[in-house]
Amino acid sequence: MKELIERLRSKFNAKNIKEQRKNFVFITVEKKDLEGCVLYLKEFEGYGHLTLLTALDWIEKDQFELVYHLHNYSNKTDVSVKTFIDRKNPTMVSINNLWAGARVYEREIKELFGIDFPGCPRVNDPFALEGWHEIPPMRKDFDTKKYSEETYFPRPGRYTKDNVAQMEEQLYPVEAEVKNGIAETVRKK
Amino acid sequence: MSLKDIVSPFNAWKRAFEKPDTIVKPLSEREGSDLYRGFHINDIDKCIGCGSCEEICQNAAIDLVDVASVKAKPGDSGLRPLIDYGRCCWCALCVDICPTGSLGMSNDYTWISENSDDFRFIPGIDEKKWNRSEKGYRRSAESWLVDPNRQHMNEIEPDKRKKNFDEYAEGFTDEQAMAEAGRCLDCGICIQACPTHMDVPKYINAIRNKDLDEGLRIMYETNPMLEACGRICTAKCEDVCAVGHNGKPIAIRSLKRYIGDQTFKKKDEIMDLKPAASTGRKVGIIGGGPAGLTAAFYLRRFGHAVTLYEQHDKLGGMLKWGIPDYRLPADVLQREIDFILRQGVEVKYSVKVGKDISFDQLHKENDALFISVGAQIGSDMPIKGMETEGVYSGVEFLEKVAKGEKPFVGKEAVIVGGGNTAMDATRSSIRLGAKAKILYRRTEQEMPANREEIREAKEEGAELKILSTPTKIEKLPSGRLKIECLKMELGEPDKSGRRSPVPKEGSEFYIEADVCIMAIGQKVEPEFSETIGLKVTKWGTFEVHSDTLRSNDKVFAGGDCQTGPDDAIKAVAAGKKAAYFIDKQLRG
Amino acid sequence: MKPIWNDTKEYDLKSGKYVKIWQGPQHPGVTGNMSLELLLEGDEIKLLKTHVGYLHRGFEKLMERRKFINCFPIVCRICVPEPDTNEYLFAAAAEELSGIEIPERAKWIRALNLEMARLGATVMGLGGQAGSFGLGTIGQWAVAHRDFLLDSFEELTGGRIYHMYIVPGGVRYEIPEGFEGRLEKTLVKIEKLLSDIDKVMFNNAVFKSRSKGLARIPKDWIEPFGINGTTARASGVSYDVRKDHPYLIYDQLDFNVTTGTEGDVYARTELRREECLLSINLIRQILAKMPKSGPVRTFIPDIMHWKIPAGETYVRAESGRGEYGYYMVTDGSEYPQRVHVKGPSYTHAMSLLEKLAEGNTNADIFGIMVSLQTYPPEIER
Repeated sequence: MKELIERLRSKFNAKNIKEQRKNFVFITVEKKDLEGCVLYLKEFEGYGHLTLLTALDWIEKDQFELVYHLHNYSNKTDVSVKTFIDRKNPTMVSINNLWAGARVYEREIKELFGIDFPGCPRVNDPFALEGWHEIPPMRKDFDTKKYSEETYFPRPGRYTKDNVAQMEEQLYPVEAEVKNGIAETVRKK
Repeated sequence: MSLKDIVSPFNAWKRAFEKPDTIVKPLSEREGSDLYRGFHINDIDKCIGCGSCEEICQNAAIDLVDVASVKAKPGDSGLRPLIDYGRCCWCALCVDICPTGSLGMSNDYTWISENSDDFRFIPGIDEKKWNRSEKGYRRSAESWLVDPNRQHMNEIEPDKRKKNFDEYAEGFTDEQAMAEAGRCLDCGICIQACPTHMDVPKYINAIRNKDLDEGLRIMYETNPMLEACGRICTAKCEDVCAVGHNGKPIAIRSLKRYIGDQTFKKKDEIMDLKPAASTGRKVGIIGGGPAGLTAAFYLRRFGHAVTLYEQHDKLGGMLKWGIPDYRLPADVLQREIDFILRQGVEVKYSVKVGKDISFDQLHKENDALFISVGAQIGSDMPIKGMETEGVYSGVEFLEKVAKGEKPFVGKEAVIVGGGNTAMDATRSSIRLGAKAKILYRRTEQEMPANREEIREAKEEGAELKILSTPTKIEKLPSGRLKIECLKMELGEPDKSGRRSPVPKEGSEFYIEADVCIMAIGQKVEPEFSETIGLKVTKWGTFEVHSDTLRSNDKVFAGGDCQTGPDDAIKAVAAGKKAAYFIDKQLRG
Repeated sequence: MKPIWNDTKEYDLKSGKYVKIWQGPQHPGVTGNMSLELLLEGDEIKLLKTHVGYLHRGFEKLMERRKFINCFPIVCRICVPEPDTNEYLFAAAAEELSGIEIPERAKWIRALNLEMARLGATVMGLGGQAGSFGLGTIGQWAVAHRDFLLDSFEELTGGRIYHMYIVPGGVRYEIPEGFEGRLEKTLVKIEKLLSDIDKVMFNNAVFKSRSKGLARIPKDWIEPFGINGTTARASGVSYDVRKDHPYLIYDQLDFNVTTGTEGDVYARTELRREECLLSINLIRQILAKMPKSGPVRTFIPDIMHWKIPAGETYVRAESGRGEYGYYMVTDGSEYPQRVHVKGPSYTHAMSLLEKLAEGNTNADIFGIMVSLQTYPPEIER
């Protein structure tokens, strides 16, 4: 594993190397090195199995992260190659030529994150969603709660009470008034 | 294709002659397993409406709703969970978190109804056939998601600590505080129990988030005496703590102390209080105990000028003179008072109203007055020999201790009473070198003192003589005291719910001691009430409007002088309330 | 680079030579709610497009909005026949990232639970395989026998389908008294069923002639299509997470990984019967070897505000259908930053099924689909 990491470091400028377990390492490469890196791992290092391909939305950093998790059947090790791409106009090179199964992942990511993979077959077909007009739902700025509140209706007559407010109201209304009046004076700047 | 492959499948017919496994009976007769997670049950009397179930439910299937048959009371919000089985996923996290153990699940799962609204109901209130089901999932002690054991502050050992007046509890370490804060369910049932209604869950959350500055600000919203309270509060909040139903309550008081201890050095910077715009009105406060100091602090926040009249040369009242240093070190109290004074409070020390300055003059000079003189005089027992040398009142004794006068205790001290003052007197006399014996007329269970005070006094070697009361005190030729006592029995419960003691005929016994400390209660100084001429109750306390603490036109009274002897946090609450209503009155 | 799988051929529907039909999402032959868009020439499939989304509940998104403990009740819903793998993997990922070590006995009980779940799912899968070739009797038997196993689950976990028994920190509570004996009775019943299935299905002229040689997966497809589990083993690739990346206590159990050679539907089905026997064997081993007493749960303090330090991990387990994995990323807050669920159906039932369908007949497509152990909720989550 050590030598492999060294090779990845020198060939693809792998950074952020994190050995999660003794046979499992996370590395980060530049976007431009990604395809070369996974190709190298597949063809020359025996990492022939694409365990998963997924994306993460780091909205604060204005970046998407793509994770290519590769597995080597012969020595039972894993390498997770990650790369960051711009969130504004997200495109990534397709790897469906390396793994036939990758097209499904890329199609899903296209739909759920809005990351484009030019050249991937059927990449624009809907995956799990049909007639979706909102922003891609796995992006962090898609608010599921807001969406469901706008799309569905609440049960009429449903209510819930806060136990603290209930006790204030029932047991010490005057003191609650005092408390709120006083608290303001301390918070006031 | 072989012949065998054509014949072999006919083996299936063999099964036609076997006894079928199908259940012939109606399905409803098949019971769920003993641990089945079926429809909920809720023991309505045990449930306290804390809302932990609602909080943990990831489907928002639980709503807390009003229930006609349950009213809110201390430690119980009166609300009960309503469960929507259209949303419930039967994961039983609500059962696993329930602090009282009232919520469980029955093994019933076959009930159906044509009306979908029937699947929203309040378990335990709405009559269901499984309500008394013994079977079904209940949380066990192991599956409870709350740690039942509390963290304990490191303490100096009894044998060492009883030799001096140094503070013996060291306060939480960061780890202990985090662990203890982690036990809190954020339910807020405790807020009502606190006389000044401190936002306990909020400041515990601040500890959890490692934002102690915010914790300090939250506490100052309700209590400017938090460092003192963090040490000596009677912690009524802990008595109702939801976790306390099945484990040890959260150590709320120690967490409060933790925030205070960690932030006091930077208090001015953290609080960053800019003086409020002056209103031009003046308020006089008589008595610089917790009630007076609290009122002073908040009145300054409202922008009123405050003058405090204190009969002693130091502020703090009973916190200063009634509580020994080993529980509340003088410097801790002083730094807290200093912060209040830095808000611009004028103090007139060693001024006794009615003697050094007339009440009328104060009445004239100020736009409002707040009387918080406390209950400073120890009550006497109606027995012979009270005036004998060597008989002290508890407050008198403790004041001497606080002043560093080292009152005479001899080798053996007898303390009469079962309250916190009695415990303070006991433990102080131990520290002064005496053996202490506590005489109490009921049993240990009925003692009004905090449990840990009693425990710690015993650890330090105090001897507890229950169901005994003194009837006569005499001086022996040796100079020691001979105390005649009677044995008591517990009779019918009185109004407070405690069983009242009844003397046992002919059960006299005698004990000898060097001093006898009577810590059986305090009262308001009668001369003071007479000089100012306010209405008093039959117990000698000031009579005020119960909501606003107003006595007449511009005079307000609160704290021990209005309630009778009580704890510091109640005095803080009174001071806060007075400040609010004085401000309201001054603004018109 | 040349594509490894070129399926860009266009078919002219107007020519009258082809017909396009939809199978599913409501179709008794389709496993779960999924639909197949088939382009047929006569009875022969020219092109298949799979469509999922009928069971999309957005679990990954929901988890990002839930505290860690609140994710625990929802993950099981990702796979109905075998929910325990999800429960285990979610718990394992959270435990690894927060550095929680679970008690020894909890590990054994978890393994027991996982094997029971695998057995139940695989038995039902056998029934489904038989059903897809018209052998309905076996389907009935299999479902009935799975029900006996569900009785055991009900007794052990308090739930029949969604067990919610493997919680972060261990398992919920102790095994009920006398459970082993009652489970053994069920195992004996299932063993008898398997021998009956042997006679009625594996030695059945109809089944043999239809499944042998059908949808053969060559060994060199395994990596490009990301195939694993019994589907890969039937083609001769010996990969089993239990053996290759032993988790829980699998390194203390004595078992061998069986592989096939043919890689067709018959080989896959046969291997699954072996899997059932292996699970029964493992359950017996676990019950015999597990420590007889000890804690079953590590207490997690402040569960409602459980913060997991920033980190990421991928944990995997062998489910009945192949490698199941959870990729979890945490950022130090009370909520996961991302949880990605990778079920084996994801690659099997999408790209691989599309590829395998080509050239086979419409009548066989369901048999192929079942033989890949397709489970749609795992694909769309």
